Amino acid sequence: MSAPIDTAPHDDDVSGDGGEGRPLLRLRHLSTDIALRRGTVHALDDVNLEVRPGETLGIVGESGSGKTMTALSVMGLLPSGGSVVGGQILFEGRDLRSLPPDEVRRIRGVRMGMVFQDPLTSLNPTMRIGTQVAEPLRVHEGVGKAEARERAIEMLRRVGMPRADKIVDDYPHRLSGGMRQRAVIAMALICSPRLLIADEPTTALDVTTQRQILELIDDLREEFGMAVILVTHDLGVIAGRAERVAVMYAGRVVETAPTARLFRSPRHRYTEALMESLPESATRESGARERLYSIPGLPPDLSRPLNGCRFAPRCRFAAPECRTTEVTLSAGEHGYACLHPVTATTAAASVRTVAARPSAPEAASETGSETDSEAILSVRDLVKDYGATTGGLLRRTSGRVSAVAGVSFEVRPGETFGLVGESGCGKSTVGRLAVGLESPTGGRIVLDGTDIATLDRRERRRMRRQVQLMFQDSYAAMNPRMRVDAILAEPLEIQQVGDASARRARVTALLDQVGLSRRVLERYPHEFSGGQLQRLGLARALALRPRLIVGDEPVSALDVSIQAQVLNLMRDLQRELGLAYVFISHDLSVVDYMSDRIGVMYLGKLVEVGPAHDVVRAARHPYTQALIDAVPSADPGLAASRESVTIRGELPSALNPPTGCRFRTRCPIAEGICETEPPLAGDLHQVACHFPLRPESRTAAAPTG
Amino acid sequence: MARYLIVRLGQALVIVVLVTIITFVILHLLPGGAARATLGKEATLEQLAAFDHEMGYDRPWIQQYVMYVRRLLHGDLGYSFQLNQSVTEAIGQRLPKTMALSLLSTLLAVVAAVPLGVVQATRRNRWPDYTITSLSLLAYATPIFFLGLMMIILFSQVWPILPPEAPQGFTLGEVLADPAGLVLPTVTLAVVTVAVYSRYVRSSMVDNLNENYVRTARSKGLSERRVVVLHTLRNGLFPVITLLGMYLPALFSGALVVESLFNFPGMGQLFWQAALKRDFPILLGVTLIISVATVLGALLADILYAAVDPRVRLRGSAS
Amino acid sequence: MTTPAETTGMSEGTSPGPGDADDTPVRGLWRQGVEVFCENRLALVGLAMFVLLAAVCFLGPLFYHTDQVHTDLAAVHLPPGTDGHPLGTDGVGYDQLGRLMLGGQTSIIVGLAAGILATVVGTVWGAVAGFAGGWVDAAMMRLVDAMMSIPSLFLFMLLAAIVTPSVSMLILIIGAFAWLGPARLVRGEALSLRSREYIQAMRSMGGTGGRAVRRHIIPNAIGTVIVNATFQVADAILYVAYLSFLGLGVPPPAANWGGMLSDGLADTFSGHWWLLYPPGIAIILIVLAFNFIGDGLRDAFEVRLRRR
Repeated sequence: MSAPIDTAPHDDDVSGDGGEGRPLLRLRHLSTDIALRRGTVHALDDVNLEVRPGETLGIVGESGSGKTMTALSVMGLLPSGGSVVGGQILFEGRDLRSLPPDEVRRIRGVRMGMVFQDPLTSLNPTMRIGTQVAEPLRVHEGVGKAEARERAIEMLRRVGMPRADKIVDDYPHRLSGGMRQRAVIAMALICSPRLLIADEPTTALDVTTQRQILELIDDLREEFGMAVILVTHDLGVIAGRAERVAVMYAGRVVETAPTARLFRSPRHRYTEALMESLPESATRESGARERLYSIPGLPPDLSRPLNGCRFAPRCRFAAPECRTTEVTLSAGEHGYACLHPVTATTAAASVRTVAARPSAPEAASETGSETDSEAILSVRDLVKDYGATTGGLLRRTSGRVSAVAGVSFEVRPGETFGLVGESGCGKSTVGRLAVGLESPTGGRIVLDGTDIATLDRRERRRMRRQVQLMFQDSYAAMNPRMRVDAILAEPLEIQQVGDASARRARVTALLDQVGLSRRVLERYPHEFSGGQLQRLGLARALALRPRLIVGDEPVSALDVSIQAQVLNLMRDLQRELGLAYVFISHDLSVVDYMSDRIGVMYLGKLVEVGPAHDVVRAARHPYTQALIDAVPSADPGLAASRESVTIRGELPSALNPPTGCRFRTRCPIAEGICETEPPLAGDLHQVACHFPLRPESRTAAAPTG
Repeated sequence: MARYLIVRLGQALVIVVLVTIITFVILHLLPGGAARATLGKEATLEQLAAFDHEMGYDRPWIQQYVMYVRRLLHGDLGYSFQLNQSVTEAIGQRLPKTMALSLLSTLLAVVAAVPLGVVQATRRNRWPDYTITSLSLLAYATPIFFLGLMMIILFSQVWPILPPEAPQGFTLGEVLADPAGLVLPTVTLAVVTVAVYSRYVRSSMVDNLNENYVRTARSKGLSERRVVVLHTLRNGLFPVITLLGMYLPALFSGALVVESLFNFPGMGQLFWQAALKRDFPILLGVTLIISVATVLGALLADILYAAVDPRVRLRGSAS
Repeated sequence: MTTPAETTGMSEGTSPGPGDADDTPVRGLWRQGVEVFCENRLALVGLAMFVLLAAVCFLGPLFYHTDQVHTDLAAVHLPPGTDGHPLGTDGVGYDQLGRLMLGGQTSIIVGLAAGILATVVGTVWGAVAGFAGGWVDAAMMRLVDAMMSIPSLFLFMLLAAIVTPSVSMLILIIGAFAWLGPARLVRGEALSLRSREYIQAMRSMGGTGGRAVRRHIIPNAIGTVIVNATFQVADAILYVAYLSFLGLGVPPPAANWGGMLSDGLADTFSGHWWLLYPPGIAIILIVLAFNFIGDGLRDAFEVRLRRR
């Protein structure tokens, strides 16, 4: 019952369907190598793509899939050692590879524009914004200085830069990340290009800013009538913005289709698996959470010769021929390179069985909320201020940064408490305070019934066993000169648990628990991949048998498929060991998937606390609603239809936070009374707002409705 | 920026005070005490006692230090009985010449090192880079007087176009009036400096060329030349300004050797001859002045840095 | 075909998969470091140069006997090759080759000892300042700043004018003032290491400051310190040469390459080239050797941190 796909090579009619005129950009058999000290990485291998005038093509893939390399190959901006070794890059019908370098440079500067991932480093720090924005005009069109400045101001206005006539003479370090990204976009568009390549343009930004930037790109595309290539790892970003999508894996395009069609019925097994790895795919409307599908293993090493389908080693449907037969993209509007693609019937059957089978009853969450046992962690009116210093040379405090301003919550045994908010909201500080890495300016931290402040140093040290921290970057959190056995044994040594042989036994048991082979004991941290490092980090956090683990963005640096592995592992261990988690993340869908209850933070304050399902699906605080609306959904239908609360403007400084409700300066419904501080009110679903969006829903608040 | 300058000035002042304490302590650690060291071996006990009393060396330490500083503030660095001249005067005659030599060779070094470093960075790990790196290492490993001698052998013996000795003028003007004589000392002093600076420029440029903003500049279709010269060079050279200040002590140490080798009538030569004759008033005076010059030079470099780098210049003054 | 059979065998989520760490052979950090050092050809050349020079200087005199105590005014300025003097003799009749060996011993010993002394003092000073922080740190580092603003050669000369230089005195003088650089370096390193996440992780487990220093900071800082020590040795050898040139080196009959070189300067124009170039080249070689070794060591220590 395999789909009748044609596996014969389609060398010459990849774009044979055509029909809508000549494509603006066409990549034919593009191959790119990166020469490194140890061998050559074949970053792109036979990539075929096309972009039509005026459309948005989304390129999606995990790290190392070649999506960024594709963009850089087109722009001729490959890193040192990188070069296009084969194929054609046809832009407006001409092969950029065969044109003289000066001509290509002109095309790059005038006909194309590029927006990069990290706006903080993408601008020259010592050149005025206006000079940088207008530079292509001066170089390629010979425009005079004064006129260039005028046009730069005009363009800055069009990308929504406030006070454009001032900003034009300013330097980048005085702008926020979102504003800098606007400046980069203005720079890319100053010559009215036909093609804009946006490489992860919002990955470094907060969700609310992300939304603003994506909408801006969308608007400008229509205004300028240009085509856009949107490169991203985030299926959600693609779903809402692109007309067509290309999915890349291990240096190849494995599937390409119109967006709606791809999300409705993916054909390639990798695309299918990727979508099933998304936390939102396993979070049901009822509030139940199924086990995530996670793709086992790691992407292949592209410096080695590869045969057959590159996804075959990780594919649950792979047959022997998959590993040996080269598959090319099938022809047609929906192309895919898969010998055993998803069909209507197999999809329904297999996906559901896989997803349903291991989804054990949600024991953890229920025990968590049913037993009214004493909270393992209770935080009352927690306050943390930092002295802000100017310049760093003179240690004179010029003010107090209010990082955490009166936060209260409880975590019960076996429960997951999610803490969500944008960068700078103080969520990480709360985590660090909870594990005792910093001491609070005010308020109480009660651990297992004992107020931490009443303990002496010794007792406090022993108390540390109860709560352990899991870091976002486990590599940075492990001494690079220590072997895994020493790293995992360190907590036991510090707390003087057992003798040497007992510790050894515990360490191997920990490795088993997190699913790592015992052979890794003699390895060093740099030898592990990101997902493996997070497993190690979890193992170390578990060593002292804590009752609570604070995870500070524990999966934020991971690819979706690897993230699913770690999330599953965390939930498995929670069930087995009765652990409680404080799960800190900026990613609402991950927090929603993991948490029993969620707290939303804004500028040092908890604005809303409640059962996860209610907070995400029936938000009461306008900020929470704005956050939810800003999260791009991997469902094109939903993305299009959503009504939304949009917040404008920039996050105020925590140095001089607004009085009263700290959100009032950006809130669409704020009134005079908001200058007085609203208390966190409510039973189970609490909100700190004078005008809650909706009343507390009694039915939904009860667990297992 | 104003605050930055005030803070930096305060630091410089603290360092100068500490330097005076150090020279003060050394003065009193001298064999036979400060009086013996000043007056020499032939002085009688009465002369020593009279000197001690006159200078206040028989008073408590704190008072002595206060008097010492007060004398310094009046420009009194002591008296050299061996030169039969006040230390201030002796140094005053020679300081401008040493400064001129240092400045000239620094200028020369910067002018040579910047293009070299840029070439190295843009042709990284290719033959120009390797060649320049090897030569810098060689220059760095060669004792500066050996290098100077090679220069003398080459340019005034084998191919006699330059005098082997520095100009012997009494004033700065007389010295500068003989540019040919200045060439060898200046170049010798500059060679090692070039080696250090070009390595620094190279690594600074390499760091900057790997920055994202360079990729952004390239995405605008700029020529490689424009990318390097207009975008990268400025950022790459900012740290070099700080190096100018940091390198001053090494530069002055080099000047000491070069002046001795070429018989250049500057502070280094004065110091060297004083060392051989154990003329401690001169030794301490020169040490103090050269240190103050170092501190001031570093201060100047930092101020310059703050003035040209917008990230420092505009810090604190929020728009 | 599309049978989901293979999924059953795969305990997805908990299998480590074909991770990097599983299929490459286990190698210790030291071995990796040594491999990287050996890959750096210049570093190997430097090491070979040092071993060779040291062997000639320290073992050479066992096989090549010369009188380096009594002058022989009957055999001055003999050119190289004359009976039994392969490198000739100097102005007082010492055999030049034998003298090079003797001088090399002094240069290498003073360089190594002063470099190590400076490194030890500087490391202790910088570490104490870095860990104490606050006022102690400020006071200690301002003193370093002040001493650093006195050009070192001036300071060495001043001290050498006060005390009579001997080999041990030279080591003390140079060692006692060359530690400023390492002190700054180590303090910076201590400050940056102190804020690393793995130290925070350890603290969150209840670890003490002492443990942080013993298990985390010292092992991570040691590389920087060792690399710097090699450069210190190179600098110390040059300083000895400068002091000798300026007339304040070790007095005869003791010898060092710097002293021989500056003696040779006087003979430049009388054609006695064998008195000038051999010590000059010897100094350049030994300084280069330590610089090469330092660069190689830096790579070797860095590789341990290199992430894939």
